[in-house]
Amino acid sequence: MDHWAPYQPNDDAPWNVQRIVHLHRRAAFAATWSEVQRDLEEGPASAIERLLDGHRRLELADDFTRMAESIGDAAMASNSPIRLRAWWFYRMVKSPDPLGERLTLLWHNHFATSNRKVNNLIWMREQNEIFRAGCRGSFGELLSSVLKHPAMLTWLDADANRKGHPNENMARELLELFTLGIGNYTETDVLNSARALTGWSIKDDKFAHRDSRHDACEMTVLGKTQKMNGDDLLRLTLKHPATAKRIAWRLCDHFMGERVCGHEAIHELADEIAKNEFDLSHAVATILRSQLFFSAENLRSRISGPAEHTVATLRALELTTPSPSTLLLADWSSRMGQDLFYPPNVGGWTGGRGWLGSRAVIAKTNFGTALATGKLWRSRNIDKIETDLTAMLERNSVNPSQQSRTEWLATLLWGSVEDRAVSSVIDAAKEAKHPLARIVELLLAQPEHMLG
Amino acid sequence: MHSRRNFLKTSSLVSLAPLLPTVLGKTAVAAKAASDEQVLVVIQLDGGNDGINTVVPFGDDAYGRSRKKLRLKAKDLHKLNDHVGLHQQMKAAKELFDDGRLSIIQGVGYPNPDRSHFASMKTWQTARLDTADHTGNGWLGSALDAQMAAASKPNQSANANAIFVGDRETPAALWGRHSSTIGLSKAADLQLDASEETRSAQPTGPGADDLQQFVRQQIVTAHNAAEEFAKQSADKSTDVTYPNSGLGNQLKLTAQLLRSGNPARVYYTVQSGYDTHSDQQFTHARLLSEFSRSMKSFLDDLKAAGLADRVVLMAFSEFGRRVAENDSAGTDHGTAGPVFLAGEPVRGGLMGATPDLSDLVDGDLKSNLDFRRLYAGLLRDWLKVPPARICGGDFEPLNLFA
Repeated sequence: MDHWAPYQPNDDAPWNVQRIVHLHRRAAFAATWSEVQRDLEEGPASAIERLLDGHRRLELADDFTRMAESIGDAAMASNSPIRLRAWWFYRMVKSPDPLGERLTLLWHNHFATSNRKVNNLIWMREQNEIFRAGCRGSFGELLSSVLKHPAMLTWLDADANRKGHPNENMARELLELFTLGIGNYTETDVLNSARALTGWSIKDDKFAHRDSRHDACEMTVLGKTQKMNGDDLLRLTLKHPATAKRIAWRLCDHFMGERVCGHEAIHELADEIAKNEFDLSHAVATILRSQLFFSAENLRSRISGPAEHTVATLRALELTTPSPSTLLLADWSSRMGQDLFYPPNVGGWTGGRGWLGSRAVIAKTNFGTALATGKLWRSRNIDKIETDLTAMLERNSVNPSQQSRTEWLATLLWGSVEDRAVSSVIDAAKEAKHPLARIVELLLAQPEHMLG
Repeated sequence: MHSRRNFLKTSSLVSLAPLLPTVLGKTAVAAKAASDEQVLVVIQLDGGNDGINTVVPFGDDAYGRSRKKLRLKAKDLHKLNDHVGLHQQMKAAKELFDDGRLSIIQGVGYPNPDRSHFASMKTWQTARLDTADHTGNGWLGSALDAQMAAASKPNQSANANAIFVGDRETPAALWGRHSSTIGLSKAADLQLDASEETRSAQPTGPGADDLQQFVRQQIVTAHNAAEEFAKQSADKSTDVTYPNSGLGNQLKLTAQLLRSGNPARVYYTVQSGYDTHSDQQFTHARLLSEFSRSMKSFLDDLKAAGLADRVVLMAFSEFGRRVAENDSAGTDHGTAGPVFLAGEPVRGGLMGATPDLSDLVDGDLKSNLDFRRLYAGLLRDWLKVPPARICGGDFEPLNLFA
């Protein structure tokens, strides 16, 4: 495992504030300054393991779980998609397991399902919980639970796929998007996979196999000829080497920067994933513990997605108590291009550079202004934000000069002081009536803040 | 190499931006250069437009017989020939017609018409007759997919391929496998709220690497787009007045987007209210007036902006209404109806045979023309993609363009 050798701090890649900020931007929703200091003291192993173990802390957090449940239930009762999105934002802002929420985002994108067709918030929430519960288990189990759930069965027309009248929708996306990836199967494989999936259906809001609709003939898929049902088909796709590669790519796409993982690194990670029976915990840990993850080229080389951008900014600045309106956060994420529970199509969000279309840039800039002027809260204004920020800087013993404050905030948000940005911010905030709020607004509009 | 040079040129100008706002504005021209391709704007007349009282066959004896309360007087109509005329509230459309900027395609429908709003709308949106196929992608989404696939290099643009102007859910017509659509209901989504200081403290100089350079370029482009958009919104020099109504505002926003250089190739919007089961007369007149005036304002606006050659507008409804009026001075769900195609590039005039009000199936008009022939013409000659796959078969394309 040349590419995924464990990280050891060294002269080229020291364990420092920049790397801690990096870790939390990629694997969580940013860190507060005291978390950064804690990780600096305790070292990389402890910082990484804490994130990986987040679900254990989640199990102990009764208050959070109860609160999240009741917000989720209220969203169901109101049958309002925006409130379901707000529920997820509440989780992202408050969860003791931020990595779990990041992984839930990842799988929501991999198995992109939209409520615009499913039209059932209960199913959408259940699917979301499947991602959350399964993100540290085996990919095979996750794949099976997601596919055999009414949300996905509806989304990909499983019910229309019957013996003698195959509907290829689910079969095609299974091969193209969920497992093998394009170029690794033929059109005949798609057709016969659809035949294998016949009989999959929904009954009483649950998955049901209708034997009478199942095509029980022998068929050939990916070179194997046999009688085949949907479960057999899933097993077959997992055995195909391209599937491990696609999962490796998916994880790298989420955790690694642009062009950091070459063909060989993906290949090596895929081998590791296949060798460990698609254990997702192991795969994620391999990435987060690696030298490559902490390499200089991986720092600040990824455009952050709307949901993470929104939540991370608030968390780093310790502006989550009182909690901002999660309805508004969900709305801002939509304006930046990520309408949770409504991905643009079955392929999910393209991500990467796709996150910076004109409308998204405008939304990200306006989000910074809304944050700095208190508009993300029901009853705050710029005076209160100025007070909050002043208190936060005092708590962290920051020297009150404009220069020090700006540099410190830049470090907190980006991991390093970017001289150009900092000097232009200081310059532009000189005359401001609310200097800290203005500095923050300016920092959030910088190109540096679009990267993580 | 070319784009890098452009970028450096842009960024060196931008470094002066706080002092030279007009210079910053000019750089938007560079961002616009790529967006000179053909655009299709679709208006969905939602609810089933009464085509018979829109393009009125006053010369057909059966018209007066089947429409007692709802009959429109021949002398009030805007006559297109000695047999049909437009509703009296469609003066603006008549002007477009006379100007050669409006084609009216009559009697458009499909075999075995479905009278459910939902099923028929899905039929039009997906170009598939079988309801089992209605869960798939839309005809426009698929067209944009085909455009992307045909492009010599992968789409590097971070902008959406299609824009839905409205606040409801994105219509199935725009769903694609790879293409993307954004919904835009308010101009606020394209306006910068940031303080003056924040706007001027924007990136200077090239980024350290390709990615950083990209981020800076996107920010500059977005700020230019916002500025251009704001200028368009504030610009009083355009003489065009839109009806102050839902559709008027949606088309106004669409025109602003086009003028500001937005690279989307398809725009889609909805005018609702056509489901006129009772007391139809006034409602229908108001809707047609709004539709026809909004369409004319939009085309005039584009003409003034020098965009008339690039944009074609299509308006359709999921079905027409029954020939005979009902007992509530309204009309019930029917079959074929007229489709409007407007813009400088269209052929203009009446197309397709006028439906015969005496030659009916179960009291409904026969469709003379399959809507997929219309789609095929638009796909082949305007969006420049092969129609057969999208239409689900070989339909002879209508010749729609001059």
